[in-house]
Amino acid sequence: MAETLLWVLPLVPTVTALLMLTTRDRRILSGLDVAGSAVLLALTLVLARDLVAGGPQALGVFRVDDLGLVFLILVAVLTFAVSIYQVGWLRQAVALGNMKPESLRPYFALVHGFVATMVVTVLADNLGVLWIAMEGTTITSAVLVGYHGHHHGLEAAWKYIIVTTIGISFGLFGTVLVYAAAAAGHGSAGAGSRSWSAIMKVAPALDPGIVRIGFIFVVVGYGAKAGLAPMHLWLPDAHSQAPTPVSALLSGALIKCALLGIIRFQTIAAAAVGPAFPMQVLLVFGLISIVVATPFILTQHDLKRLLGYHSVEHVGIVALGLGFGGSVGTYGALLHVVNHGVTKALAFFAAGTAIARYGSRDMQVIRGLLAVAPIGATLLMLAALSLAGVPPFSIFVSELMVLRAGIGDGHWVAVAVFLAMVVIIFAGLLHHVGGMAFGKPTAAATREAEARSPLLGMTLLAAIIILLGLTIPGSFDRIFRGATEIIVG
Amino acid sequence: MSAETVQTVIDNLGALLLFTMILIVAAGQIYRAIYAVAAQSFLIAVAGGVLATATGNVDLWVIAGITLTVKAIVLPWVLHWVVRRMNVRREIEPVIPDAATLALAVVVVVLSFHLSASLGPVRQAITGNALPVGISLTLSGVLVMATRKTALTQMVGLFASENGIFFTAMAVTQGMPLIIEIGVILDVILAALVMAIMVLRVRSTVDADIADLEELRG
Amino acid sequence: MIGERSLVLVLLELALLVLLGPLVTGTIQKLKARLQSRQGAGLLQPYRDLAKLFRKGTVQADTTSGFFRSIPVLVLAATMAAGALVPVIRAGPPAVPLGDALMLLGLLALARFLTSVGALDAGGAFGGMGASREMTIAPLVEPVLMMVVFSAAVVAGTTELGALAAHRGTSWILGWHAADFLGFAAMLVLLPAETGRIPVDNPDTHLELTMLHEGMLLEHSGPGLGCMVLASHTRQIVTLGLVSALFFPAAVAGAGAVSLLLGAGAFAVKILVLAVYLALVESSYAKLRLFRVPLYLGIGFVCALTALALRIL
Repeated sequence: MAETLLWVLPLVPTVTALLMLTTRDRRILSGLDVAGSAVLLALTLVLARDLVAGGPQALGVFRVDDLGLVFLILVAVLTFAVSIYQVGWLRQAVALGNMKPESLRPYFALVHGFVATMVVTVLADNLGVLWIAMEGTTITSAVLVGYHGHHHGLEAAWKYIIVTTIGISFGLFGTVLVYAAAAAGHGSAGAGSRSWSAIMKVAPALDPGIVRIGFIFVVVGYGAKAGLAPMHLWLPDAHSQAPTPVSALLSGALIKCALLGIIRFQTIAAAAVGPAFPMQVLLVFGLISIVVATPFILTQHDLKRLLGYHSVEHVGIVALGLGFGGSVGTYGALLHVVNHGVTKALAFFAAGTAIARYGSRDMQVIRGLLAVAPIGATLLMLAALSLAGVPPFSIFVSELMVLRAGIGDGHWVAVAVFLAMVVIIFAGLLHHVGGMAFGKPTAAATREAEARSPLLGMTLLAAIIILLGLTIPGSFDRIFRGATEIIVG
Repeated sequence: MSAETVQTVIDNLGALLLFTMILIVAAGQIYRAIYAVAAQSFLIAVAGGVLATATGNVDLWVIAGITLTVKAIVLPWVLHWVVRRMNVRREIEPVIPDAATLALAVVVVVLSFHLSASLGPVRQAITGNALPVGISLTLSGVLVMATRKTALTQMVGLFASENGIFFTAMAVTQGMPLIIEIGVILDVILAALVMAIMVLRVRSTVDADIADLEELRG
Repeated sequence: MIGERSLVLVLLELALLVLLGPLVTGTIQKLKARLQSRQGAGLLQPYRDLAKLFRKGTVQADTTSGFFRSIPVLVLAATMAAGALVPVIRAGPPAVPLGDALMLLGLLALARFLTSVGALDAGGAFGGMGASREMTIAPLVEPVLMMVVFSAAVVAGTTELGALAAHRGTSWILGWHAADFLGFAAMLVLLPAETGRIPVDNPDTHLELTMLHEGMLLEHSGPGLGCMVLASHTRQIVTLGLVSALFFPAAVAGAGAVSLLLGAGAFAVKILVLAVYLALVESSYAKLRLFRVPLYLGIGFVCALTALALRIL
């Protein structure tokens, strides 16, 4: 049962995408959208249950273990939330003329195609398939980033496709080098063992020199896709120009999938050259990302760009957690992947509704949101506070764990820089969001009632944030522990 | 063919690949760059054929054939078509002086050879100089993309970059599995088509080169 | 054939080079003419031009110094001395110590320098412009030639051209090292520059905007100009000879008159092939604007440097 699910899961969004091509009616399209995402989420949960009961499952080029499951659940939950959110969002976008009714059909098809490639990415055991799926996410999402069709969108899409395609070329090179190391160690016996699980079995015997080069190629390559600085140049542009639901998927799910790619190679490198080297590389990239993002967050006027730079910061925190290592740091990093994914999606949703209400992404224009849309404003503030790392929200927990791992290992400089940046960003974010929520509403704001479906999608995500901030449910904890064990060994 | 002959032939093809790469880096006109990248892909296909004969690996023949049709013929043709459609200025606009780009290319080549010379016994898993040549091509391709502001040149740089990876991948003993290589090539085609469409769309709306747009900042 | 070249043979080879130099130019001009669907002048036209020049009297500008008169002779002498270092019929070191490939490049550079000095001495605007352009290009060309020689010398362990050619032996392209391809590519890029041809220079023009080498010859006349022209013919065949010695020595086995004839025949074929290459390049490319020339030569530079790196690393 569980093995077949591995094939069915990527098929669900693929079939949904194909079904989208059969109709033009917005209601039917939205219905299909929600139904497809719901099926994906349900099957994911079934798979999770099987996995907790029966251990890792493998079929052909696909394999799922606790590590992949963490990311799979994130992708499925966000897809579901996005589907609910965009029922109302698209109705509004069509009414406002931001989306043409006839372009909805390819839009939905592309979104589900995008989801399908992400699902393949997290399920892939074969490192080549991982790469192909990763490039697939670039192609589908690049079209979505430029979907509004004006030249800003196309500029962002071009930058996105160029930077990430160069990036994952490097990733492919790294993959080839790791293959070469595996082939060298085992000759014909190593043939066919192109999968992560097979390479992991022989990893301690791999040539350290070539694995080291390969790992750096992969971190630079997949790191570009994950938004690690200084390869993050595409990220603020793409996140700000894409349609809001797509921004949420990009920031919440896609860059996490790239992180999974890095983590897979990190485990191989740790086994081949010792854990210190990959940890050091990730530590450096993590710190650079956090430091580079900070000034841009402080001086930003564009709400969605602000959130984009936040993603750079938080990806940096995840890399930092992996760099500190140990069970605490790694557990914290994985938890942060989920926390940030959910929170950032919520933030984009809330920002998207506010932007639609004011007709501008400029935070100077968005004023007094609390007065015109109380629920939306509350959710936006909640997301912002969570992003800034305030208790009782979930990001506080994972940041604390990363911090503890850093202190425990005596990385004092890194910890000091991390803390300083987090405090600065906290202040900056409160300043930005405080200005948007309170104050006198500008004339641009429409005062129509808040649409229900976006609120529903946002509430779902907000509930997860608060829940994970207060307690980590036992089954979740088991999955996270399993995933940590895979990385730490 | 003896292992030694194969190694010599691959090394020689590698030298020719480096030559085409130098031509791409130094190309003053987009047409020259396109021809050079087509020649480069052709050489990659030849290398695939040589390795296929040497190892008896049928997959490599298929890969060589696909490389020949797709990367040496179809993609250059697409680029050529876009150039004609766009009626672009024929000169490539560099961000930094061409001479500096060339100098950087030399640094890249020397560093790649130095890097791979530092490797241990694993070098035997890759035929001849395929690893340093592959790294050189990949990095020089990125160099071209970073130093040119025209979209089509950036695409040429991308293809050159991927050629480098293919060259190394083919020369890795056992190679990549066929299905993976085909998937990779499919992705490359799709990416190229999406890029071509974007370039033409921007050209039709704002009459500018998409790579030259710089309105999103900060 | 491989073996020491006696002094007589060296002198014979030199005579052959100097005598055949104008023929190569004539051949290239004829090929170009045919490629452009023209009848063109005969193969022997350069000889007729030379004969005419040597019959004429000399006219000299008032501003020139006494040194100016000796320049053409010195240029021709330096070029011919360089020619003595190129193995033509046989590959192998000369029996008498003459000098190596670096000496050859040095002599060619000396000839180039003297030509420029002469051009400046006359004080004419075109001469000065030609000299300054020539001196812009020379520093880009010469190091490349040297690096190509070095990349071959690293394996042969000698810089003497005859010995280099002998070391390479009869190996054809299949026996080439990867560095040889890049070195040869560098030479192909440089050949038009070194022989004063399109796309770097234009030998057929006297337009001030385009000429380099011709500009420096404007103040010479009569036998002096004849020497200069003969020197350019010789320089061209010496450069082609250098390329063939470095990359296609194709030494012929055996001794005696037959093998010498065979060697001479092989040399003629090699030079002809290179001449066809030059004619093709000249017919299919436009002359580069002067400020694009360094980039063009940069291609050769990078190729040669990479070739050297391949040899050493």
